[in-house]
Amino acid sequence: MYAQFDAGRYSQKNSGAIAQPAPPEETVGASYSVAAYPLYPPDLAPGEGREAVQSYCSTCHSTRYITMQPPLPPETWAAEVDKMIKVMGQPIPEDVQPVIIKYLQSNYTPQSRKR
Amino acid sequence: MNEHRELSRRALLQSIATAASVGAIAGYRAAANLLPPQSQVPGHERSLPTFTGPAPNPYWNSVGPVVQYPQKLPLVLLTDRPIQLETPRHYFETAFTPNEAFYVRWHLDEIPNAVDLSAWRLSLEGSVERPLKFSMSDLTRKFKPVTIAAVNQCSGNSRSRLQPRVPGGQWGDGAMGNAKWTGASLRELLESAKIKKEALAVQFQGLDKGKGPEGHGSYEFLKSLDLKDSVLDDSIVAYAMNDEPLPMLNGFPVRLVVPGYFATYWVKSLSWIRVLDKTDENFWMKTAYRVPDTPRGNTNPEDVKGGKVRTVPIGRMPVRSFIVTPNGEKKLVAQLRVIIRGIAFSGYSSVNKLEVSVDDAKSWTSAQLGEDYGPYSFRTWSMAWTPQHPGRYVLAARATDGKGNVQPDEATWNPGGYLWNRVEREEVVVGRAS
Repeated sequence: MYAQFDAGRYSQKNSGAIAQPAPPEETVGASYSVAAYPLYPPDLAPGEGREAVQSYCSTCHSTRYITMQPPLPPETWAAEVDKMIKVMGQPIPEDVQPVIIKYLQSNYTPQSRKR
Repeated sequence: MNEHRELSRRALLQSIATAASVGAIAGYRAAANLLPPQSQVPGHERSLPTFTGPAPNPYWNSVGPVVQYPQKLPLVLLTDRPIQLETPRHYFETAFTPNEAFYVRWHLDEIPNAVDLSAWRLSLEGSVERPLKFSMSDLTRKFKPVTIAAVNQCSGNSRSRLQPRVPGGQWGDGAMGNAKWTGASLRELLESAKIKKEALAVQFQGLDKGKGPEGHGSYEFLKSLDLKDSVLDDSIVAYAMNDEPLPMLNGFPVRLVVPGYFATYWVKSLSWIRVLDKTDENFWMKTAYRVPDTPRGNTNPEDVKGGKVRTVPIGRMPVRSFIVTPNGEKKLVAQLRVIIRGIAFSGYSSVNKLEVSVDDAKSWTSAQLGEDYGPYSFRTWSMAWTPQHPGRYVLAARATDGKGNVQPDEATWNPGGYLWNRVEREEVVVGRAS
């Protein structure tokens, strides 16, 4: 019943292609440079508070710092936001802080994370 | 055969023409009646999930997409600003990690795209009799070049294995690399500036800057080492990595190399060496990169919550080993010999024993060690294995270093997600030979 072999299967499904970078044009001067570093904006979960997160949580870092995390318990997200304000010095207005915390808890805990 | 090929070519052309590829190829399969059903070729077209957890990350690398950065081969993306990229597993088949594949980890987002060596200087300042500024030519000509093979491993390498999971860079096992570093001896540089008697520590800073407010960890990244620490005797200010200039993302023009220590001290694009006459109280020393002062840096969430855990700055890397191949991507064939290969290292001395298990760490056999490139280098190892019977096997590797440190088969947990060094496993599937 088993096939001797399987052949000729192709699929439109692929994991994307990366363009090859062209070699840079260099001069003999003392300056050494590379191209601008590419950004890869993440797919943040839709929902209330997303805009607040995008504006207050991307001053020092991209929001990939959020999507990279494993699902974290609600209290860990609250502690992370607190750390960004108190330790890292990010000024987040007091009325916006709970919006940001609620967004993270509604979309990035073991119970709530979908993407 | 010809008929088969012709059919498949026709099916492919048809699939492109109609864009109904799945249907067309499935149709071909039904007609040919030769191919195993889809269920028998499982998983071949799946991608990794976009995240892992709350269970441990079950994959060797982190699960992010593969991306292209300047001077780099495609690497695994953790974050794009600041940039954190992980080295895919297969680059660890050799003792030295290619510069183009070497992992990247920055803490702050304003990192150099260009450095003008006619203006760039490395400053040596602070508690010294004679503050100095070195150009790249000063470093290469005025000081005898020192070369050392040393592993650079992120403190949080393998953080995604911890239970419970902790926040931070969710590295798999590829936040590490080994290179042959060449540069000026740090001690010689320090001596040339004549350190004052009251000096206690030496602080390092690179060209990276953050957008946070001054005085916070989000503004600048500073690391320091005690002047009495013997690791300074082995440390170099490196201008060459594997006999090439450093990639911009790995710290061009020079980076500090602290053999045996975690990479947090290996400051990239190093531009200020500051001798201090008091303890460094900045965020990156006092708050971050600290580990519990317990055996293996192990603790638990309850003790941390209860404020019972005294911490110390992270230092040397515990002994580790990794299986690089087979990697679970290819099914093995019963009675066909494979070579189990990997690497091992320790921050304390050369690895001088490596054992492999093919029965989930129940029994062990010594593997053959590759060349010894010095106490701080990766050491390759290999062992031939011929699985006689089909089945699922769990391979494991366990290293012992020259100081007698044996890799434990126990998890580590601390809130920073540091110091993971448990015995590594790889599950492989062996199919029937006929």
